[in-house]
Amino acid sequence: MSRMKDLQKNLFGGTTSNARQFGMISTLVAIVALFQIWTGGLTLTSGNLIAVVSQYSYILILAIGMLMVIVAGHIDLSVGSVAAFTGIVVAKAMQEYSLPWPLGIALGLLVGVAIGSWQGFWVAYVGVPAFIVTLAGMLLFRGGNQYIGNADTVPVPEGFREIGAGFLPEAGPDTGYNNLTLLLGAAACAGVVWREWRARRTRREMSADVAPVWVTAVRLAVMIGVIVFATLRFAGGRIGTSLPISGIILIALVLAYSHYTRNTIGGRHIYAVGGNARAAELSGVKLRRVNFLVMLNMSVLAALAGMIFVARSAASGPQDGLSWELDAIAAVFIGGAAVSGGLGTVSGSIVGGLVMALLNNGLQLEGVGSDMVQIIKGLVLLLAVAFDVYNKSQGRFSVIERLMRPFRRDEPAPPVEPSAPASDPGKAPVAG
Amino acid sequence: MRRLTIRGIAAVGAAALLTLGTACSNEREGSADTADGKGFAKDALVGVALPAKTSENWVLAGDLFTSGLKEAGFKADVQYAGASTTVADQQAQISSMVTKGAKVIVIGATDASQLATQVAQAKQAGATVLAYDRLITNTADVDYYIAFDNFKVGRLQGQALVDGMKAKKPTGPWTVELFSGSPDDNNSKVFFDGAMDVLKPLIDKGDIVVGSGQTGIKQTAIQGWKAEIAQQRMDSLLTSTYGGGKTLDGVLSPNDTLARAVLTSVKGAGKPIPVVTGQDSEVESVKSIMAGEQYSTINKDTRKLVAETVNMVKSLQKGDKPTINDTKSYDNGAKVVPAYLLPPVIVTKDNAAESYAGDPKLAPLTK
Repeated sequence: MSRMKDLQKNLFGGTTSNARQFGMISTLVAIVALFQIWTGGLTLTSGNLIAVVSQYSYILILAIGMLMVIVAGHIDLSVGSVAAFTGIVVAKAMQEYSLPWPLGIALGLLVGVAIGSWQGFWVAYVGVPAFIVTLAGMLLFRGGNQYIGNADTVPVPEGFREIGAGFLPEAGPDTGYNNLTLLLGAAACAGVVWREWRARRTRREMSADVAPVWVTAVRLAVMIGVIVFATLRFAGGRIGTSLPISGIILIALVLAYSHYTRNTIGGRHIYAVGGNARAAELSGVKLRRVNFLVMLNMSVLAALAGMIFVARSAASGPQDGLSWELDAIAAVFIGGAAVSGGLGTVSGSIVGGLVMALLNNGLQLEGVGSDMVQIIKGLVLLLAVAFDVYNKSQGRFSVIERLMRPFRRDEPAPPVEPSAPASDPGKAPVAG
Repeated sequence: MRRLTIRGIAAVGAAALLTLGTACSNEREGSADTADGKGFAKDALVGVALPAKTSENWVLAGDLFTSGLKEAGFKADVQYAGASTTVADQQAQISSMVTKGAKVIVIGATDASQLATQVAQAKQAGATVLAYDRLITNTADVDYYIAFDNFKVGRLQGQALVDGMKAKKPTGPWTVELFSGSPDDNNSKVFFDGAMDVLKPLIDKGDIVVGSGQTGIKQTAIQGWKAEIAQQRMDSLLTSTYGGGKTLDGVLSPNDTLARAVLTSVKGAGKPIPVVTGQDSEVESVKSIMAGEQYSTINKDTRKLVAETVNMVKSLQKGDKPTINDTKSYDNGAKVVPAYLLPPVIVTKDNAAESYAGDPKLAPLTK
């Protein structure tokens, strides 16, 4: 194998690559580069990166749950309304019954569990299509939000605002940076190196092909480079700002859910159900339970996203959550998930979400009106998916085909992924 | 092999750290000082964040801001929120303006109490925040508020109602009905209170009689400022109270849309047209006033409001304290916001030509 091919195979993708995701990482890099030049360097300033993370973290959190729903072959249209409903319940509880804010968060998550169980029950045990159940939920909980809140805006207390508008505190000696963010960045670098080292060891123990050293080194350099860059940017913002708390919640969720969907039995079951529900059931997957849990999980994440938005806005209002479902669904499809289910990754969806977020942010920095921004976002969504569909149907160059071919030979069953944890560069920009 | 791997990894990692570490510039600094009296560059960026383009008024305001700020030498960034994602859009737009280094940010809020975080961010970056037309609530980071005096609007409406009825029938008692705006709009109460400030003494004296007895803001409110609801309410009032030949002399209506709904209802019932007030100078209502149906409306000239806002930006640029004329009335829940209030103007058939002289759309209607 030539060095170029080695690099192509191993640098961005390793063994679990999803092609559109690879395409999207390049798109993301291209968008960042484009706007960095166009806005005269504003895009990658600390202030802007911090603003982007706190503005879009709740959409990205929704995208994680939405990915699992879509992989399982469903859709959830109710997330925006569920988020708004949770927001107003929590805000009212804290305002009128002076509930302390930590209990407020717990209450919000419980509301998410209750709504999720309700929707999961109809989808999994009664068999109503998720599209219908959540369309009903969209109306139900939007109405609930307005009924409880009287179509009014309800402010939330200071402590609660931390989860949406808060930052890591300043601690330790004055290094010119936010020290806690630096520590997080160092931990992320160590984690990446450790994972790479362990992957090589595992492959060697299993007598599998080990990527050449220089490939590993280049890949590590790229990832560490991105992490270090991001860390310094987030740590070097205005005093009092750093990586936002909502960003930390997001990173924790991305890591946890990536691991769950990739490396655990429960996670693989979701892919099995989405790939072929009948076959999965015959192989012993508890179909109903998987569907129930996927819907439940989505509503809990929607509740969390709703609370983060309310915290950031300092108040819960009747317009919260409008068209969030569409943003989350767009992120998932841009990130490479299949409409028919069974395909897609958490990190891909995050990359898809970031593409939309940076596009939005860059256009806003350029002073492009929200009407044009919506038109451009719509076109990007359509083109991103159409490009791949077209290439496949023409039997010509397809990114997916091309990247899948090397693995077909030794790994004939695509839904069951190999056990070796592979690099996930898509996560790097967030993880830093 | 293995040792080589680790060494390679370490070397590349270290190299990456070094290059990027040195390449990164640090933006760390304390919160900027925003005290008045320092001013800023003459060609600085001024951000204007307005709600979605749902009414002609906002579109006009945006156009006027773009031209007005450019004329004054500033760079203008005028943004409207999207129609379906208003609040989140506006939050993101304000953040972008802060990133771009706007010195003044003028905000016509979509939801006045959901902007605390962004306004704080603007403040820390050293920008001055002006609340335009709608007061931003629950935050101490708003510097000034500029709007038309809405209590005065209410008083003018009340006075116009009395004047109009006196002109038709010199002595009382007059029979009236009251309408107020949407209960979720803060301004509704202010308009109503202003009007009652004038009407209440006359009601107490018995000069004015509210035919249906419905005088509370809850009973008179029209949810969502919807014309059809106002028409329904008027229809039922006409049947319940004015069925037996009792005459209705006047109707207090908080805006033009509701005023026309009331008139439609009265005409449908075949009753004589009462004195009806309004507000907003909508084209249809100006026509109606000229035709002698609706009695009055209020002229809140967007041109004047924008011009005053631009003046405020100019004095901030020079480092002067901008002119304010109210330091007590506008408590947003966190502080009393110093305000500059413009006087609204009452318009009847008599002064319409004069009031709309400078308005290219309304002036021809008054000829």
